[in-house]
Amino acid sequence: MLAVEYFEVECPEPVGAEYYKQITNDVLLDHNLLKVIEKLHIYIDPKVPIFVAVGILKPITTVVKVGDIANVNPQEGKMTLVITDETYLASMLRIFWERFGKDRVEQPDRFTVVLYNVPVEAKEIEAIVIGNPSESLNKDLIYAFRQIAPEGFRLRSERFYQGKFSFVASENTLVETIDELIKAKFALMGETP
Amino acid sequence: MTLVPVTYKGGIYQHDIVIDLIEDLGGYVVQKHVLAQEVVLQCFVPRDDIELIREISRPIFGEVTDSPLVGTEIAIVSMSLEIHHLPHPSCDIAEYVRRIGAKSNMVSLARGPGKRITGLNDEERDVINEHDIAVYLMGNFETCIEHKMPILLRGIEVPVVVCGGPDKETLIKIVDPPVEGYVGGVGRFMRRTKEADQLDKLDEIIAEITRVLEKKREDVSKDPLSVSPARLMNLIRERVPAILEVTSPTPLTVQMAGLRVKLPYDTFAPELRRMEIEDGITLGDIAEVLPSRMRDYILVKVLPFSETNTVI
Repeated sequence: MLAVEYFEVECPEPVGAEYYKQITNDVLLDHNLLKVIEKLHIYIDPKVPIFVAVGILKPITTVVKVGDIANVNPQEGKMTLVITDETYLASMLRIFWERFGKDRVEQPDRFTVVLYNVPVEAKEIEAIVIGNPSESLNKDLIYAFRQIAPEGFRLRSERFYQGKFSFVASENTLVETIDELIKAKFALMGETP
Repeated sequence: MTLVPVTYKGGIYQHDIVIDLIEDLGGYVVQKHVLAQEVVLQCFVPRDDIELIREISRPIFGEVTDSPLVGTEIAIVSMSLEIHHLPHPSCDIAEYVRRIGAKSNMVSLARGPGKRITGLNDEERDVINEHDIAVYLMGNFETCIEHKMPILLRGIEVPVVVCGGPDKETLIKIVDPPVEGYVGGVGRFMRRTKEADQLDKLDEIIAEITRVLEKKREDVSKDPLSVSPARLMNLIRERVPAILEVTSPTPLTVQMAGLRVKLPYDTFAPELRRMEIEDGITLGDIAEVLPSRMRDYILVKVLPFSETNTVI
């Protein structure tokens, strides 16, 4: 776990803590999420029972532009885009349709998009933002923590705000004092929620 | 004559010589797998004749190995079918016991996970009781295992092996009522078992299952069965041709004291009961033919000598 600055699992049962550290590592590694987490503190008490995960995310600034996934070739009266990565193709087409109208955008095959008579330069097309990986990040993190938390802990409360997150799960109804617990766990990392 | 479970592995060329030999010696082939050019036979053979089989199969490069779990049906009890438990560790363990000859079924509980909400319904209980042994795969926390085991063991009559995260001594201390076998250090994990230490753990589970089953086998041999389930399997295959049409991988599953016949109960149970085994003795005389809780299969429970006064 080189990429994570702080990573602790706290549990009254030391054996259980060791296993959960391993599980957390495996799941985050599988989902490719280790590189976005800066600090992570997990607290589990099976007697209560409660599972708390609090952490800090690394800032993600990169956005995906048309130029990142396609080569734009301007021709007489049209512009041909050769797609290299399909991941953001759907959102790119949606933006083109909105901006230029459906009659000017054509996709003759899977890896080609042709724009007819569009009033912009190739450079401008390349600069259009079509995706933001950090948008789906919260969803991925929640999914990963659902896998890490013990399965019976089905009542959850998640909070993701300005690069900080907390995930609480329990088998019983969550008590009102969890905010204080979250605060205390953030304090262990030297942070405030 | 004591029959011992072994696995024969060899090429497909002339393997019928080995099958004929096993049958001539009074043994039974329980399962036969043909995998491309290779044949794997799981069989019961007389203890004294293992050397003879080795010798005869040597020119055709056959290999005979002990596999104590042949002829047993094992329930791998997983707490749920969620990603938390599958494919690791539940499938890893179920697959590993299959490699050494056991027939393993995965039993997943509707209300397995959790501490307070855990439960075992009558169908799950009956299905587990139809097996020779149940292997419970528990989680990592002592508190949860301690709290759940009394509920999950309610009404279970077969021997149980409990696997869990805490070490063996702790498991022995916290599992109540006590069960037959314990394996510590195998709780919930999310990675494939491929490293040497993980495979050692799987071997430890096998050793524990084998030890518990050996004890059960001993108990069965004190009051011997009226007919060997393996023999019954061969007879059913000869006399009830419908079984040959069943596409399931093991249409007849041999257990230690019985047999699972994968045919509809209502249609075939009377026919099975009437089936003559030897000298006018029918299957209905020496075994109970019961409906299984697994689909609409038939469960044949062979009665011991003390109840029927016959051994054939």
